[in-house]
Amino acid sequence: MIEEKKQSKSESPKAVSVENLTKIFQGAMGRKPLTAVRELSFNVAPGEVYGLIGPNGCGKSTTMKVMLGLLKPTVGSASVFGHDSDAVASRHDVGFLPENPYFYKHLTGRETLRFFGKLCGLGGSELRDRADAMLDLTGLKNAADRRVGGYSKGMLQRIGLAQALIHEPRLLILDEPTAGVDPAGSRRIRDLILELKARGITFVVTSHLLEQMQEVCDRVGIMSQGRMVREGRLEDLISVENQTEIIIEGASAEQLAQVRAIFAGSSGAKIMSLGKPRTTLERLFLETTVQTGDEE
Amino acid sequence: MSSTLKSSPRKYRAFSPARVWALATNTVTQLVRMKILFLLLLFVVIVVAAAFAFPTRSPEQQLKLLKDVVFGALQVFSIVMAISATALLLPRDVEDRTLYTILSKPVPRHEYLVGKLLGVLLLIGGGLLFMDVFFSGVLWLKQTMITAANIEALKSEQSDTPENIAAVRALIAHQGLTWNLHAGVWCVFLKAAVVASLALLMSCIATSTLFTILVSFCFTIAGQGQGLLRSFVFKSLPVTWKKICSFVLALLLPDLGLFDQVQAVIEGNSIPLATLAETTGFAAAYVVLYAGVAHLIFSEKEL
Repeated sequence: MIEEKKQSKSESPKAVSVENLTKIFQGAMGRKPLTAVRELSFNVAPGEVYGLIGPNGCGKSTTMKVMLGLLKPTVGSASVFGHDSDAVASRHDVGFLPENPYFYKHLTGRETLRFFGKLCGLGGSELRDRADAMLDLTGLKNAADRRVGGYSKGMLQRIGLAQALIHEPRLLILDEPTAGVDPAGSRRIRDLILELKARGITFVVTSHLLEQMQEVCDRVGIMSQGRMVREGRLEDLISVENQTEIIIEGASAEQLAQVRAIFAGSSGAKIMSLGKPRTTLERLFLETTVQTGDEE
Repeated sequence: MSSTLKSSPRKYRAFSPARVWALATNTVTQLVRMKILFLLLLFVVIVVAAAFAFPTRSPEQQLKLLKDVVFGALQVFSIVMAISATALLLPRDVEDRTLYTILSKPVPRHEYLVGKLLGVLLLIGGGLLFMDVFFSGVLWLKQTMITAANIEALKSEQSDTPENIAAVRALIAHQGLTWNLHAGVWCVFLKAAVVASLALLMSCIATSTLFTILVSFCFTIAGQGQGLLRSFVFKSLPVTWKKICSFVLALLLPDLGLFDQVQAVIEGNSIPLATLAETTGFAAAYVVLYAGVAHLIFSEKEL
């Protein structure tokens, strides 16, 4: 199991730091270059769950690939725990679950975990124990000796999560972790994220399931057309500044009518909470983003 | 944030033989489970059929023809395995996006390439070793049967003098199982290794399995006929230019004719140790060159 070790914040660098990142794909054979990400900057603190959301084609996956060193930035930089993301050593502390993960179909679940564990420098009894622990954690113990080619979508996501965790990374990058997974499997993955978050693991997550993102994320960044259009703490982002929310307990219909007319002085009813009503993350998302293909 | 985790105590090493071995053995498992070794069964059928063919020929001719057919099959199988196995790996990993998962681990790209190439070479080497052992067994059996039949014939002609028997044994042994046979198989492996590294280079440039296979086959055929190409195209050039052009051509296109030592084995002649060492050196140079260029291309490739 992952060992929880406390460390003072001053000692640890930012888990992820993306500075002024721009990524342009050169068009082949006279085609126009495509700017996938423009001047993107954000930081993720250690132990935080950061949600990167945006419509399809907004540059989320490109940003993740840059963070993993799979793509090189055209301008700007990305670093993971102080290491430039281009350096292979930066991946020592990173686990990645790609969208629709594919694994070698000929390997069993256990063999898959052992293979990825070996790539991370594990071996011997440590590797065997870690693989078994991850199979246990992701609920795949009974399917451990079945070939991955026969796994369902949900099982593939879970074995993907298990391989991402095999080397006890400090940062997990999850690209659509619940895409195509049934509600029960989806909840299981969500619970797993919360459990791992409690152990101090940092997350960068993308998902189109905004309700779930709302449940797990500490902060979110909303991308549209390669740019960061909104970013901040979830609580702050979904507060509506020019409205007030009153939560009343035990009010009758008549009293509610009175409350609507005047807010104070009604007998038997009390104001339990006075604050700002919230929109949903989904509404905010739709308001602030432009779907790919729409005019700028 | 309640707590944070410390960096893993495992140290990252720029080159790890264990990681390369993990990639190589996974490649072997992948190819074995893709049933690529079914080719070996076909080889067994060819060897057995060739062993019982040509019964009317002289003993020497029978053994020569058996070796000729088997070495032909060995070369075809090793080249087909080298190209198809290599072409199935890298483009497929890109198409399936398995490559993302692998390279998101602390795996340098050169280790990935070396691991994949080593896996293919292990598979070809293992396959050739099996074929060599099987072929040696069949050749030895055929040799024993022919020797016994010839000695029987001498007996029936009442000319089974020790000198005659020794002469028959020597003649058949000359064309039978010798260490030379294994040297010939080694040369077949060297050629396959060069073709596999060429296919690896092609797979770094290409975007699909089919393209890799087609281009690699074209290069292999052209490489096989490079000697012919040189003597035909460069014949009118001055000696110095001929040498320069030949060298450049040999760099761009592997001179696979360098590895064709099997004819000597078929004829019953031995391959000199110096030739074997030189051939091995050429193969190593080609493999390093193509793998190096493949790395240069792959390390800059955006995934």
